[in-house]
Amino acid sequence: MTPDSIRRERRAARLALLRMVFVVLALGALVPWLANAYWIKTLTSSLALAIAAAGVALLYGQLGLVSLCQYSLLGVGGWVALRVGHGLHWPFEACVVAGGLSAGVVGMLAGLPALRMKGLYLALVTLMLAGGFQVVISATGFPDGGAGFLGRISGSERLMLPRPALAQGEGAYFAYVAAWLAAMLALLELHRRTRAGRSWALIRRGEAVAEGAGVNVLLYQTWAFGLAGVCAGVAGALLSGAVGQLDGRAFAASESVMLFALSLIGGAYYWAGALVAGLLLRAVPSLLVDLGVNGYLAMVFFGAALLHALITAPRGLAGQWLAAFQRRAAKGRA
Amino acid sequence: MPDLLPFLISGLGVGAVYALSGVGLVVLYRSSGVLNFAFGALGAVAAYVAWSALDHDWPLALAALAAVVTSVAISLTYGRLLAPRLAERESTVRSIGTLGLALVVLGFTEWFWGEQPRRLVLPTDAGAIEFADVRLTYTRVLGLAAAVSMMAAVGLLLARTRIGLAMRALADQRALSSILGIRVLQVDTAAWVISGAFAGVCGLLLANIVRLQATVLTFLVIPAFAAAIIGRLSSLPVTVAAGLIIGMLEAVAVLVPGLAPFRSATPFVIALLAIVLWRDASRKA
Repeated sequence: MTPDSIRRERRAARLALLRMVFVVLALGALVPWLANAYWIKTLTSSLALAIAAAGVALLYGQLGLVSLCQYSLLGVGGWVALRVGHGLHWPFEACVVAGGLSAGVVGMLAGLPALRMKGLYLALVTLMLAGGFQVVISATGFPDGGAGFLGRISGSERLMLPRPALAQGEGAYFAYVAAWLAAMLALLELHRRTRAGRSWALIRRGEAVAEGAGVNVLLYQTWAFGLAGVCAGVAGALLSGAVGQLDGRAFAASESVMLFALSLIGGAYYWAGALVAGLLLRAVPSLLVDLGVNGYLAMVFFGAALLHALITAPRGLAGQWLAAFQRRAAKGRA
Repeated sequence: MPDLLPFLISGLGVGAVYALSGVGLVVLYRSSGVLNFAFGALGAVAAYVAWSALDHDWPLALAALAAVVTSVAISLTYGRLLAPRLAERESTVRSIGTLGLALVVLGFTEWFWGEQPRRLVLPTDAGAIEFADVRLTYTRVLGLAAAVSMMAAVGLLLARTRIGLAMRALADQRALSSILGIRVLQVDTAAWVISGAFAGVCGLLLANIVRLQATVLTFLVIPAFAAAIIGRLSSLPVTVAAGLIIGMLEAVAVLVPGLAPFRSATPFVIALLAIVLWRDASRKA
């Protein structure tokens, strides 16, 4: 017989999950009505990047691991999605799944060193991987409908990856990306609340502790890396669908560093943090350009925000806002 | 078999800068446990200061001095004001903090000086010496000389002086050293100053060899991490050797057919191999 208090907790947790999915879906339904074409495009890439940020936050927030190659994994996902889309003409959803799964596998491989090394060395390994990926992808580029394994076209117009049948327009595609975001966030949240999340919490405490409590450290740590990779891959595939193609030069190692920094600023412990990170990456720079502020000043602001987040607000902007909201709610009840 | 020597010598120029950056990173890491992600950004701002000074017809020595003073001042400010607030946290978080500094400095530099790429042309570029069919400008000769002497100076400082001893003590046992009466903050400050000076010199050299663009310079530090990793973030001689070898291998890779577009991946591949092969060392960090 479950006590009432636990049952209440469970119901609250289920409600929170539903609320999260509902908020993201409502966002997807409302924004196309409110924004113009330019902003819908910007927000579409923001939402796609939020999925990748959720993966970064999973590794840092749950396991305390710093991975500086997640934007490269985004590139891997985008590459695979474009390759199977152009080469095999799979439907778009299958391209996204293929991109996500392959980036997940690569992410697991990238995470293997993490079983042996912690902290700074892991950050450095992943940074080196990102640097290597940058060199390779800017030399080979992304598939755009040509022949051969690399799928590069030469001489004629680069082909676009067709969008999914049910989301051809800008607004519809935004809602489509929002649906993917809601699904991925729900997947991560369900992981956090079940056996995987408990195992991660124990591993974070110390591997010996986890081992002693009967947690399969190898499995769950690799699983987390794979899951973060899937997030990045799905984001990459959705991004390639938004524009129809990807640019090899846009996947510098610095992008991975930026994605990590902004995920931390957004907040690594709460789902809205990923959303904030996505907005900071794409929407805020556009907003500043709209306002006539130099985009590089945004960088100064991000740097200061990162230091602020590390020193005073380890739970990030989302965590800070949430805490303020809860304080007000508590005051309202009292 | 093509003649390798010219490539080796031209690789030595970039290699020396990798070595210099590697040493700058390791010196700071050893005493304060911070891996400075802002190293490249400090170099970039120094190079821009030198460019502006030369633009105002300052003599070269004064311009270089202004550049190094700028990077030292920023490094010191961060090291004294912000870094201590993170001192209690684990090494990863302390290092990620410098990422914030990197973004601030990079953003400011790009905003203040504009983003059109330029080259830092130094008066010493005009003259050159010929060596094994390679034209080495005086800038490169001076740069190599500066690199070698700075590395020797830091080596001596760590091995022979009192503050060097304190730095090594801090690297081993921070808490214990402070109980023994070592002024932790003072030693930290020295490390930040040295690291800032190295960043300034590296920035000047790289802006001359590669190009003067803040984003490029900021992230040119990533290959330098490779040298530091091979030195296991602690050994200065190994770091120097690794930096030089990486620079030369990168230059020689041009000769291998099909590898030329991928040659800038050399540092990353070498660093990854080093990490994977040296399992015991990487565990404790």
